[in-house]
Amino acid sequence: MKQNYDFKIDKIKDLTSEEISLRKKNLDLFYQTGFPNKKDEDWKFSDLNSILSNNFNKIANNDFLPREKEFKIIDEFEHNFISLFNGKLISKDFSYEEKNKILIKNFDYKDNLVLDSKNSLYFLNNALATGGFSLEISKNYKLKKPLVVYNNFSNSLKEKIVNYKNSIILNENSELNLINYINNSSKENFMANILESIKVKKDSSLNNILINNSKCNCYFYKYIKSDLEKNSNFENYLLSSGLKFNKLDIEINLNEENSNSSVFSALNLINKEHQEIKTRINHNAPNCNSYQKVKNVLNDESKGVYQGKIFVKNISQKTDAYQLSKALILNDAAEFDAKPELEIYADDVKCSHGSTSGSIDLNSIHYLKSRGIPEKEAYQMLINGFLCEILEKLSEGKIKNFLKEKLERQINGY
Amino acid sequence: MKTEDLKNNKEYKYGFTTDVENIRSPKGLSEETIRFISNIKKEPKWMLDWRLKAYNRLKVLKEPDWQKPKYPKIDYQDLYYYSAPKSASDKPKSLDEIDPKILETYKKLGIPLVEQKRLNGIAVDAVFDSVSVATTFKDELTKKGIIFCSISEAIQKHPDLVKKYLGSVIPISDHYFATLNSAVFTDGSFVYIPPNTKCPMELSTYFRINASETGQFERTLIIADKGSYVSYLEGCTAPMRDENQLHAANVELVALDDAEIKYSTVQNWYPGDEKGVGGIYNFVTKRGACRGKNSKISWTQVETGSAITWKYPSCILQGDNSVGEFYSIAITNNFQKADTGTKMIHLGKNTKSKIISKGISAGNADNMYRGLVEIKNKAINSRNYTQCDSLLMGNKCGAHTTPYIKNNNATSTIEHEATTTKINEEQLYYCNQRGLDQEEAVSLIVNGFCKEVLQQLPMEFAVEAQKLVAISLEGSVG
Repeated sequence: MKQNYDFKIDKIKDLTSEEISLRKKNLDLFYQTGFPNKKDEDWKFSDLNSILSNNFNKIANNDFLPREKEFKIIDEFEHNFISLFNGKLISKDFSYEEKNKILIKNFDYKDNLVLDSKNSLYFLNNALATGGFSLEISKNYKLKKPLVVYNNFSNSLKEKIVNYKNSIILNENSELNLINYINNSSKENFMANILESIKVKKDSSLNNILINNSKCNCYFYKYIKSDLEKNSNFENYLLSSGLKFNKLDIEINLNEENSNSSVFSALNLINKEHQEIKTRINHNAPNCNSYQKVKNVLNDESKGVYQGKIFVKNISQKTDAYQLSKALILNDAAEFDAKPELEIYADDVKCSHGSTSGSIDLNSIHYLKSRGIPEKEAYQMLINGFLCEILEKLSEGKIKNFLKEKLERQINGY
Repeated sequence: MKTEDLKNNKEYKYGFTTDVENIRSPKGLSEETIRFISNIKKEPKWMLDWRLKAYNRLKVLKEPDWQKPKYPKIDYQDLYYYSAPKSASDKPKSLDEIDPKILETYKKLGIPLVEQKRLNGIAVDAVFDSVSVATTFKDELTKKGIIFCSISEAIQKHPDLVKKYLGSVIPISDHYFATLNSAVFTDGSFVYIPPNTKCPMELSTYFRINASETGQFERTLIIADKGSYVSYLEGCTAPMRDENQLHAANVELVALDDAEIKYSTVQNWYPGDEKGVGGIYNFVTKRGACRGKNSKISWTQVETGSAITWKYPSCILQGDNSVGEFYSIAITNNFQKADTGTKMIHLGKNTKSKIISKGISAGNADNMYRGLVEIKNKAINSRNYTQCDSLLMGNKCGAHTTPYIKNNNATSTIEHEATTTKINEEQLYYCNQRGLDQEEAVSLIVNGFCKEVLQQLPMEFAVEAQKLVAISLEGSVG
């Protein structure tokens, strides 16, 4: 769909001539390959180029500054929030927290965020990104309430791409529950391309939750690069059902001893939804743990993909790494693809993975039906049980209930 | 490394060379070379045309580079594509006419060519460099209607069968190495089992690379007609040289309705010395098609040799209820590298496949399992089970697993599991305590780790394979 790109750097305001030339270079790099296609090993199961070609007539970068500031705030639990509209930071509220402990500002494109991803979406983001935020939590500060980042997209976005970058830093011995809340109910096709850098310093802990609120025609891509220091903890919960296309590309670097990371995902996909979870866990230091559990329920013509890689460096003895992907395929037109990879150079390690895909257990359905439960409900019960399991490890009760409710809504229809 | 050093290298007992006169093709890859090969084998025109078609296709293909073990660029113009012992050019009619030196070689290798043949009851087709030297037990097989001969002979005598099946599983325009083989293949085995026949003995081929600067490109074609059964064994060795030699073979299996093919390989090509100099590049394409209903193809491989092993024996499960199996042990030590696994492509209904892969890595070696399980939309009620376990010895080696799993319908089930660990220290301690030394203990534990695969091998091979497993790991623990 190369001929239909309409990317203009001069739509972006307040750039120095140096920035413009750097952005132009990145755009040229993007043009060399265009959107990633299946010839790229990382995009083997999700050919973004053809997906976009089939659904977009043209694609342009967004220059629309939204006037809407109103959006529905979650009222199930008390929280701090940051609100983004089409990527731009428009409001924030940290009234539950101590002052001067949290630093929040617009992402500064002058201190370049260097991520060594080679894919073309990264170049496109470098060329066109505006907005986004930088968040820094002070040393020894544990947030009293969770932080919700409202990723609002205005309904007027049509055949546009929104690019932005975020940076999150947790300084030593700090703690944060972060909820990325995707909020859009537009019927128009648009794309979001987000790069995020996360640094979890010594003894800190971050719960990173991503949840999609309602069914929308958003084509979502987010690349997260995270670096973990000693004794740190980084947990991810991904509940992105409802997005038309989604690829969450997560890189976790366990750079120092005794750090832990986990990725949990539960997806219930319908219609032609296509979602991919891609992880790369680099065990660069000894005594680190990583855990991944990815669950998919695939209805209609949907497609679920899991590509996970565990890399263990030769010095990383006593590594414990685990990967599990499970899929329920409920329709012959649905598809599940997985590529769980292990690349291991240290011998005193425990690394394993498992992957299963198949249909729902008809004996269980029969059992429920024999107890007087209608078939449709029986299916829903089993799917609920299958997916909700991934939330078990989450300790924050209110958030857990909230997520459970959202997940059930994703399963039982909006 | 000098020749004398090579002679002193006792680790690889098949490292000797045999001094026989050779006939060689012109050096390099060209139409001339292909015409030379075709001419010397007195091939019909259709065969030459087939080769040239492959050669033309090869010109536009690129050598693949996605594999994990990288290797220096191969200069295809610096190789001899045909090398044959001179005495074989007037093809011997019986074993008595074969150059005694070659027979001596096979004796050293322990192949039951002459005296052992009656005892073992294995029919052997031995391929020395590029040509098939002798096929034993021919008469007994002919009585049953079984054709077991070199592929060159089959091209002359059974052109209909060859025309029908050659290239039907691995087409001319497959990947680079398969196409190269199609253009320049020199010899190999041909097996045809007629309908409702159970092959009364194990069929076997022994491959040996003897001449230097040659590549070996053999082609094996096995057809099991309706309701038949055959078990086929393949073994390989090569002399020690400090150059890397290319081995790019193609093996095609076709199983029709209710037929079963069992294909076992013990691959012990020269792996290079402990510094990683020399050794064979084993880039082989093996593919079987379960074309008929209820057919079955089973691959078993023990890969201990070669500097680089890069192969994926695969099954295309076309017929309804067909079964594909893959059992593999890949052992890499020193600087050896392996990138091996399988592809199971389910097309027919109720098809089943099973993959058991055991990778063992020691020294500075790299061992990779790469596999594809794909259940297509129409392959309803299909099943796959995959298990790949890796064992690491030391922290300079690597063990990797890259499975591709694609499930495209709601009634099929795929299960995959993989683990990577080191040898259990408690088990080692237990063995030591009972008086086994470190090496014996390791060999015992590793053999136990591989048991599921070793069990699949025919008796004669199982013993050899167990010994090989122990030898390959000598000196890796300590």
